[in-house]
Amino acid sequence: MKRRRNSKLKFEEPSDQSPTTTADFTFSLTRIAVSQICQSTGYKSADSSALNTLTQITAKFLQSLAGLASSFSNAANRTEANLFDIVNGLQDIALSTSDCFPGGSTVHDIESQCLIKSAVLRNLSDFVKYAPEIPFAKPLPKPERNGSSGRDLDHAAVEVKYVPAWLPPFPDASLYSDRCTKIDRSEYHHLWENSDSVTDRESLKSKSFRGGRSAGKLPQRRARVRFKMERDNSIGGGGPGGGDTRIERWRDNDGGESGRDVEVKKKIIDEYFYSAGEWPI
Amino acid sequence: MNHGQQSGEAKHEDDAALTEFLASLMDYTPTIPDDLVEHFLAKSGFQCPDVRLIRLVAVATQKFVADVASDALQHCKARPAPVVKDKKQQKDKRLVLTMDDLSKALREYGVNVKHPEYFADSPSTGMDPATREE
Repeated sequence: MKRRRNSKLKFEEPSDQSPTTTADFTFSLTRIAVSQICQSTGYKSADSSALNTLTQITAKFLQSLAGLASSFSNAANRTEANLFDIVNGLQDIALSTSDCFPGGSTVHDIESQCLIKSAVLRNLSDFVKYAPEIPFAKPLPKPERNGSSGRDLDHAAVEVKYVPAWLPPFPDASLYSDRCTKIDRSEYHHLWENSDSVTDRESLKSKSFRGGRSAGKLPQRRARVRFKMERDNSIGGGGPGGGDTRIERWRDNDGGESGRDVEVKKKIIDEYFYSAGEWPI
Repeated sequence: MNHGQQSGEAKHEDDAALTEFLASLMDYTPTIPDDLVEHFLAKSGFQCPDVRLIRLVAVATQKFVADVASDALQHCKARPAPVVKDKKQQKDKRLVLTMDDLSKALREYGVNVKHPEYFADSPSTGMDPATREE
């Protein structure tokens, strides 16, 4: 390795033109990795077009393997790929590139349910065991985590587990935490008849500044309301439906005992019906 | 009965080998960085939190590229050496990854690379490879 570094190398430096877009950046990174691999096999230099082609094919290989694995996982009703999906994808690729991964046609032993039976995986395990380790030339700069990149590692600890990693990160906590804590659940447990939709808005408005309470809850002490329902048959001698009914409503502010209950007084010709009860206003 | 026991033992060994392989991926550093692989995987809709599986994909890709490159190297070495007068230059036979070797090697892997015959890689294309500037 040391000798190779000292010898004359002519691998193109990809930093001759600074990458502008993400695609350029990933391409130049992949080109560094590919040229390192070529160097490890014994090449001393490479044509730029050949290196670019091999880089593109590497990217295609990665993407097709990822596409195969994700389609396998989706076929199994999963969103996250696991080892089985990757091995299945590798088997498919091994069938097409028969030279690279021999034994692709021998599917792993289903009876033993063990993936290492797959010849592809065994080859990879041998590769890991025997091939020299070539770390990437330079440590990668930490990418800027802005809103466009889906994965936010800093917030990953904060986020809940069921939110997939590819979703954009949560907004700043100050934007929503206030509103969440302000919701008072007890307000939703009022009875329906005490809610705004039933309560007279006018009386509510007049009460609200007095009692200092709002949101559909009436104050405990309030003015009494009396109804007087009177049915008068001016023509006389008619049937029960012949008369007209007047409802008088007044409010007594003296708070006397007589006004404790709402009284409905019905007068039909000569008869008086008294019925007492609480009427929701 | 005896056969079942044997297969059970074999299964146990295989499981151990698989576990060992996956554990060795934690220590192994592929040439292609994890972040780069993750980016390509995410572009294809692949989602996996396990770094070992990402490294497995990286190792598979690395093996693919290394195999292609070594095949191209064999093609390069098998080509008859150009006639040169200078002894020193002949000894220092240059190993250059060229489009010809690469397309020959890739054809065995099911990839058809076609480039125009007149394609000019660099200003020095067309010159004798041995007389090229270093």
